[in-house]
Amino acid sequence: MDERDLVLHGLAIKRHATAAAVADAIGLTEGAVSASLARAVAANRAMEVDGAYVIAPLAGLALEARYGLHFGALREDAGFCRAYAAFERINRTLKNVITDWQTMDVRGTRVANPHTDKEYDASIIDRLATIHEQIEPVLAQLAQRLQRLGIYARKLQAALDAAEDGEPEWVSDIRRDSYHTVWFELHEELLRIMGRIREE
Amino acid sequence: MADRWILRLDGTALPEKTLIGGKAWSIARMRALGLAVPPAFVVTTDACREYLSSGSIPSDLEQELDAGIEWLESGTNRRFGSSESRLLLSVRSGAAISMPGMMDTILNLGMNDEAEMALARESGLPAFARDTHRRFLELYSNIVLKTPIGEEGSDVNPASLRERIRDAGHDMPVSPRAQLSHAIAAVFGSWNSRRARRYREHHNIPHDLGTAVTVQAMVFGNLDDNSGTGVIFSRNPLSGERTPYGEYLPRAQGEDVVSGRFTPQSLDSLRISAASVHSELLAATNLLEKEHADIQDIEFTVQEGRLYLLQARSAKRAPNAAVRAAVEMVAEGMISIDTALSRVTSEQVRSMLFPRLAEGADRDATVLARGEGACPGVASGVFVHEADEAERRAAKGEAVILVRKTTSPDDIHGMIAAKAIVTEQGGSTSHAAVVSRALGRPCVVGVGSVSALRPGVMGTVDGGGVVYAGSLPVEAPDEEHDPHLRQLIEWARVRSPVAVLRPSGAHEIGDRRSDYVDLDAQLTAVDNSSLAAVLKGMKTARGAILATPEAARQAAACGVKTIVTEPVLPALLAMLGAKS
Repeated sequence: MDERDLVLHGLAIKRHATAAAVADAIGLTEGAVSASLARAVAANRAMEVDGAYVIAPLAGLALEARYGLHFGALREDAGFCRAYAAFERINRTLKNVITDWQTMDVRGTRVANPHTDKEYDASIIDRLATIHEQIEPVLAQLAQRLQRLGIYARKLQAALDAAEDGEPEWVSDIRRDSYHTVWFELHEELLRIMGRIREE
Repeated sequence: MADRWILRLDGTALPEKTLIGGKAWSIARMRALGLAVPPAFVVTTDACREYLSSGSIPSDLEQELDAGIEWLESGTNRRFGSSESRLLLSVRSGAAISMPGMMDTILNLGMNDEAEMALARESGLPAFARDTHRRFLELYSNIVLKTPIGEEGSDVNPASLRERIRDAGHDMPVSPRAQLSHAIAAVFGSWNSRRARRYREHHNIPHDLGTAVTVQAMVFGNLDDNSGTGVIFSRNPLSGERTPYGEYLPRAQGEDVVSGRFTPQSLDSLRISAASVHSELLAATNLLEKEHADIQDIEFTVQEGRLYLLQARSAKRAPNAAVRAAVEMVAEGMISIDTALSRVTSEQVRSMLFPRLAEGADRDATVLARGEGACPGVASGVFVHEADEAERRAAKGEAVILVRKTTSPDDIHGMIAAKAIVTEQGGSTSHAAVVSRALGRPCVVGVGSVSALRPGVMGTVDGGGVVYAGSLPVEAPDEEHDPHLRQLIEWARVRSPVAVLRPSGAHEIGDRRSDYVDLDAQLTAVDNSSLAAVLKGMKTARGAILATPEAARQAAACGVKTIVTEPVLPALLAMLGAKS
């Protein structure tokens, strides 16, 4: 993928993002991304509001049309597809863990987790760490075919470390690169690479 | 002869947690209270340190284990590794401080082909015995050998599981005694797992503390008609009412209760079938609640007419149960007012005060869609099908409900802008559900078809799972109308460094003073990020946003001494540094 499409691709995954956030997501320098975004705005491929960028609807469609070109080889790659299938399998467990983080079962009724029971929270973070151990080899396989994807492993590890070190916001807070936020962006990335549509 | 590496948990002594770990410590404590716990001994952290420095289990530990097993055998009238009444064991790690990366519990240790047959004959349940055997092999392989071989829920026979373990290059001991030694060595080894080391380094926990290993007799609730299993709460965890509440499943194991395959009965069935066990259980529940001064959630098993308590812990509870129990326990002299206040979070109070449909409002209302309730609360607004449009219209002050087939990270700005969220597909673990709960937006997921939710039309979302046509009247419960909340407010006011007043009683406060600010009257909306700048130098602040714990804390940090907002309790609890 050339730099122009890579920046648009990063913007498609991180919507309403600053140049810095897009740069962080795709592993380019902020300067390069800022310049590329400025060109995209000038060409009506993106819009800017208060320093945050959005991809223009038509540019988004055109980008998706070019995914076949960019990712065709990966879609045919048996190793990549196996790793993707493994991600989808583990994704089901991850969703359950995040739900158990936010809500607890009290005799058949789901109530919000008030995060007062340190033992309960620790057990969920423990499950998250187990998932991380399962996803690490999968991420390594994905990154072997597309090096850029290694960024997600680093970000997931950082979020898990922060959560284990006593900052539980890093599990699922949506306003930071929490484990759930990064996982979801990775899922979005993989869906785009594979040309699939999210099921839920 | 005094053992060097092992301590029998018979209740005569309460050794240090650093020596026996948290789990063994709570068993010892329960035994000391005279409660019936399955017999157990603990291999101490001394043995772990010896193992870690020498690399092998000390030889005299093996002898002490033999003696310890004999002691468990005499306490249970069962035999480990021979005879018809098999003794099976659970093996768990336990450090003084619980930490990630430590080995999980192994259940049913001692299982092999002969033990399976013995258990099948004893219980009359060959399928159960087979399942117990299979699950033991899976656990052992997973945890001790670190070679996952099982397929969940499959009915592979044990012989082929053993073959798979062999094929993976491992030796699965048949001898129960060898299984035990290997399991103990695996627990000790897990002390140095990467995650455990990292955790200790970050939390300044010395690496030489070591972990203990608790070895406990397994009990079975499905051996005969005088056996069963259940859970009991010392108070109702949904309402907080001071009545023990529980479930009992005769002739069943714990996993049968969890699996939902069987419908548990009320505790009354235990009272009718075994009155003395029932009263012993209630007495134990009462004792444990007094001892821990909190609602207890207790797992128990009755084996051949004898009660065993498996685990007692502080119960998870619904918000109103947390509030009611905290207030009532103060009246009962069980806890202090400060403890009561620390047991209720701002968020729990807020969720009790979520707007709900006014009484009878849904009677003549048209239901447009039904789905799974993902986040509670009620909100009305105009249906909007695109996140960008939701954001645009909300910015102009319009209340919108975001309706999507599914949501993805693309939609988050729209979800933040919306008053409520509805999705066509997905369940309680879907992205929409996760994000709506993080945002506190009422949300209904998986309604099947959103064709009835036409763009631009007004509707009302009840986060319990229903979408109605039109804007239905809602009412927010008043904290002053709930006697327990009123009590908490009274207690919190005395302790809060900042006065928090309701607008109805504070019309004049601060007016026309230079150190007073009304956030609701600001020209641009104030949010958490702009709050500090607006509050700087202010002594009195008024505004709806201050009812949220984050904003209230910020106000206190800025030196504000009086807050006027509604409800007051969430802000007050935030001031107390209560966990929220």
